[in-house]
Amino acid sequence: MKCFLRSLTLLVGLFFYASSHAADALPTLTTPDDVGPVIEQPIEFPHFRHAGDAKDGGMQINCMYCHTYARRSMVAGIPPIQKCIGCHQSIESVRDKPRIQKLFEYWDAKKAIPWKKVHDLPDFVRFNHERHIQRFYFQQDRPYQEVCGYCHGNVKAMTVAQRQKPITMGWCASCHQKDHLVSANSSKTGHGPNDCFTCHK
Amino acid sequence: MSVSNLLENWSEFRHTHPVDDKGYPDWEAYPSDIKWAMAIDLDACTGCNACSVACYAENNLPVVGKEKYSHGQAMHWMRIERYWDENDSGFQADQGARFLPMMCQQCEAAPCETVCPVGATNHTEDGLNSQIYNRCIGSRYCSANCPYKVRYFNWYNYPEQENAWPAPLNQQLNPDLTVRTKGVMEKCTFCKQRTYTARNNAKTEGRPVQDSDVQTACQEACPTGAITFGNLHNPESQVAKQWQSQQVDLIKDVQEKDEKEGNRLRGYRILEELRPYPSVMYLERVRESAV
Repeated sequence: MKCFLRSLTLLVGLFFYASSHAADALPTLTTPDDVGPVIEQPIEFPHFRHAGDAKDGGMQINCMYCHTYARRSMVAGIPPIQKCIGCHQSIESVRDKPRIQKLFEYWDAKKAIPWKKVHDLPDFVRFNHERHIQRFYFQQDRPYQEVCGYCHGNVKAMTVAQRQKPITMGWCASCHQKDHLVSANSSKTGHGPNDCFTCHK
Repeated sequence: MSVSNLLENWSEFRHTHPVDDKGYPDWEAYPSDIKWAMAIDLDACTGCNACSVACYAENNLPVVGKEKYSHGQAMHWMRIERYWDENDSGFQADQGARFLPMMCQQCEAAPCETVCPVGATNHTEDGLNSQIYNRCIGSRYCSANCPYKVRYFNWYNYPEQENAWPAPLNQQLNPDLTVRTKGVMEKCTFCKQRTYTARNNAKTEGRPVQDSDVQTACQEACPTGAITFGNLHNPESQVAKQWQSQQVDLIKDVQEKDEKEGNRLRGYRILEELRPYPSVMYLERVRESAV
């Protein structure tokens, strides 16, 4: 009996020891609701004003007008300051707004805006914007806001972008393992590559 | 792919191995429009090591130094093996050394794949043996089972602890693939980053991959053009033509050259009798003085 009690105490102790360690472990990679941290940008860029729907006061600009490399490269690209100025030099009505003044400060100082990365994948992962845009936007003719939103969430309603999806391997695979229609007017189905080597480099 | 999914589908996962009960790679059970393959002409190879150097630069390989090399910790995905022809009076000076570039042979029935306890190395649809660094736990079974000894283990943390790329050399690292850390196995990938880009561009343009789309780093650097690389399933590709002209067949384990006496064929694959069905064909060296 004594032996039994001793081992029981040991087991219970071990359990609590282990569970207390599990609790102190590193912070989890994703927040419980899969929303990424709020990232402070040098300029509080209003995505909702540029990309939002007209009824919400947005300009409905295509994401790929600024993130121009998404359709032809691995990375979507952050627009250079010339792109902002290209439009804003002829929009006098908002010139005195603090964000625009800040933009022109960078422009006059000939400095790039030090944007911070919001959707940052680990270095051992290869994600290709081109393939996803080609498949869903050009071949299937889905609206760009929906296509970009699969991974980036509802950016058209955001000010500075915030991560809304977990962007983990399991989350990517949950889509890649499903059969989807190959194009809007075809009954053929297919799925994304499930080969480790396609995404892991 | 979650762990539970991996465990549930383990048998299916293993069945993507293209060699089934027939005993040879069965393409019907394993359809793909791409099979990367290589042909190396040993008659053209001068043993200059340019391919090896190009591989170091392309694939972020650390230079380990003399001491670690002597401990068997070399990290050359592409190595030049040197053979001396010896007779009773020593080596034949007129023939000199024979060279053989050796890299991962991307076997169709790869011995390394079946022994990995965590499935970190497996077969891709374009006929490569993949090596997933962040899945690898460093058991080194694959290296032990590789008949060509072309798998290299990271015994040290080269980027940080060994300072393999002191600044500003770290700026020359290739961003298209990982800088491996301590405790993982690595090997030649047939320049996966390049084949990936080639396939991607071809797909966007809606056409099959052509020879002009992709060159491996070793092929690009070879001054004598000894290395040919391409899609074996495309009959127009240089590599497919070479394999065909030498009557080398991927699914055979004895090639025509060795089967029949007195032919003029030169194509063979290394250690074919072990039946790993490698993807690299070598063209035998031709010398008048050859025995």
